[in-house]
Amino acid sequence: MAGRERLTNPPLMNRGVPKIVGRPGPTAYHRLNPLTKATLATITAVAAVVLGGLVGPVVLVLVAVIGPATVAGVLLRLIRTALLLSLPIAISAFLVNLFFFPGGEQVLLRIGPITATAEGLAFALEILARIVAISGAVTLFYLTTPPADLVVDLERRGVSPRIGFVANASVQTVPAMVERAMQITAAQRARGLDTEGSLWRRVRGIVPIVGPVILGSIAEVEERTMALEARGFARPGRRTLLWSPPDSVFQSALRWGLLVALLALIVARVTGVWA
Amino acid sequence: MIELRAEGLIHVYRTGAVRALDGVDLVIGAGERVALIGQNGSGKTTLVRHLNGLLRPTEGRVLIDGTDARELTVGQLASRVGLVFQDPDRQIFAGSVRAEVEFGPRNLGRSGNDLRSAVADALTATGLAGEEATNPYDLGQSRRKLLALASVLAMRTPVLVLDEPTTGQDARGIERVQGVVEAAAGEGRTVIAISHDMRFVAETFERVIVMRAGRIILDAPPAEAFAASSWETLRSTYLEPTLAAEVGDRLGLGSTPTDASLIEALRAG
Amino acid sequence: MTLTLQAVGYRYAGADQPSLLEIDLELRDGEVVGVAGASEAGKTTLCLVASGLAPRTVGGRIRGTILLDGENVDAWPMHRLSGRIAMGFQNPSTQLSQVTGTVFEEVAFGPMNFGLPHDDVVARTWQALHTLRIDDLAERNPQRLSGGQQQLVAMAGLLALRPSHLVLDEPTAQLDPAGTRLVADAIAALAADGASILVAEQKTDLLAEVAIRMVVLAEGRVVLQGPAADVLDDARLIELGVSAPSAVRLRRAAEAAGIDPERLRD
Repeated sequence: MAGRERLTNPPLMNRGVPKIVGRPGPTAYHRLNPLTKATLATITAVAAVVLGGLVGPVVLVLVAVIGPATVAGVLLRLIRTALLLSLPIAISAFLVNLFFFPGGEQVLLRIGPITATAEGLAFALEILARIVAISGAVTLFYLTTPPADLVVDLERRGVSPRIGFVANASVQTVPAMVERAMQITAAQRARGLDTEGSLWRRVRGIVPIVGPVILGSIAEVEERTMALEARGFARPGRRTLLWSPPDSVFQSALRWGLLVALLALIVARVTGVWA
Repeated sequence: MIELRAEGLIHVYRTGAVRALDGVDLVIGAGERVALIGQNGSGKTTLVRHLNGLLRPTEGRVLIDGTDARELTVGQLASRVGLVFQDPDRQIFAGSVRAEVEFGPRNLGRSGNDLRSAVADALTATGLAGEEATNPYDLGQSRRKLLALASVLAMRTPVLVLDEPTTGQDARGIERVQGVVEAAAGEGRTVIAISHDMRFVAETFERVIVMRAGRIILDAPPAEAFAASSWETLRSTYLEPTLAAEVGDRLGLGSTPTDASLIEALRAG
Repeated sequence: MTLTLQAVGYRYAGADQPSLLEIDLELRDGEVVGVAGASEAGKTTLCLVASGLAPRTVGGRIRGTILLDGENVDAWPMHRLSGRIAMGFQNPSTQLSQVTGTVFEEVAFGPMNFGLPHDDVVARTWQALHTLRIDDLAERNPQRLSGGQQQLVAMAGLLALRPSHLVLDEPTAQLDPAGTRLVADAIAALAADGASILVAEQKTDLLAEVAIRMVVLAEGRVVLQGPAADVLDDARLIELGVSAPSAVRLRRAAEAAGIDPERLRD
């Protein structure tokens, strides 16, 4: 690119990238390569589902979630976040399976027409274990990896920056949408919209809130796209990276090893070699 | 027509440790025209959101005509205090200008001729008469902002609160907003506006409240708020007096916050 | 270096009327040119066309010619133009990429896209931060800044591209007086440094301070143009929906009252 060169000011050339950019995480687990942490989370979640039962997922949670979370010093935050994330679905899945498990015979509890059976309880616990493993694995990744780090790492590996950008932007969009929805709800309540009355009133109240959320987000995305284009984002060819997360042969081997182990597990399950 | 009162108002947002409002005491009488000024983040918007119950005080209380705002439902509050937000795109949802403006008054239970005349008056006041069938998104940003104003105006609340009503408005738009404020005040309604536009403030309002870091640091008529004795207070929160006020002071004519008052003083002198 | 618009017009896709007609405009090194006009007069469209974003990212048809140092840019893709002409928008938050954790990375985003050498990216970024006096924000999270600070970060991001021309569409619309002051100072500093700037604004007090020349638009056409002082003093501004700057209004009010405006100077 040709351009104005008058802004160059030699003394500033010596100042490097601020230390905070790409600063290594506080613990050994934080400092793992983002792709390693992403692989661990994915494999934990998939393995919990493939293994099934109660023991498998519980061991996974202990080894791949609670253990690393303790090392990373995020155990309490992990429990809080994972609970918030999974509580509604966990409770409903637990209750539904506890009370409506088909063909259960050993009755534990009877409330009117519905009964809880021992078989239902066992199955409900299994479901619960899987939900805990999945939400725990995802939360651990989220708490120990800034999304931008993963994007940079993928980009270094040759993944198109656009893919990383879209993924990252969608993660960042959620809080922005929530914030927007809250502001819109406030504006409509100020116009007398009753969001606390009967179910019908609440359903009717959805349009004036969801409408502007969507229309506004579309408009914002349009403007943001233009702003990005104006800064050369659509330019073909490699971008400069300010830094990239370190990786090691050991981590690479670990990732491949875990992947192979998972595939073996799936094959064993599917072919019935290991039930 | 109603009186608004805030007593020892403190507000701390759940996400922040700072006090967005740090002890605000305030009485606004029926029919007053009040401007709220101060830097972004000084607590202006937080304060007005307490007046219609969108935010509840962490400490202290808000009285609407003697009744604690906590005892009023959102609907009851909305019928007393109409609040126009800064960004019209965070409220416009309807497919036509008419439907957008009808939404508020309908929620308050207006119908028939009453509703029709409320809508017609609001559209006339904001210069949108004739656009009833237009899709709001076919209007430009500044007219969408006037539409948001119309949609609250049509609720005919005794108190009207405007958050930054003149941003993005051209000269005509600002005049329209001034007209709306004056007409509402003429009907005995209270008008409170947050603004960064000092000329608009000095020309349109009879009381100026300056906020800084969650507190009221000045509360006076424009002649006093823009007088040289207040400049230090204004500048402590990065506000500047109007040009007319500066010229009046330089010429030794006393406090002349508006062009008109400066000319008047020149004539007299 | 010169950006030239010759008889440029623009019609958005699906619109039955053009939004811009027969615009002739020249933007030369070190000049700040102000654009004023009533709402919907075509200011934003002019900014989009001058920056090349219309029609490249906005559906529509352009007429006329845009020249950069005499070279027709018709066939240039956006990323080629964006190294020469940068554009800033009204809303500070939509201008941030939303994928960076620090102001430093946000400002470096443009130069990084161009694949410039690492050290060059770093030097440009510090330089841009320094020009706008926001070095101390380098390590902050851009999402957690005030609107005024975000607007400055957005401008620094444009500056780091070292464009010869900068187009700004109402850069102070969302800002309080303190934020407006920062942006005004930044515009003046950039121009002093040799950039040419086209700035659309409703705040004529700001234009009176920074602009050398001005154009006023009405219904997509240039209806007034010339030295900023003359245009801002033109009696036709009012009917064109543009507020005169405070000083001009005051002088007119004095004249109308039969008072010698010289008395305002004490």
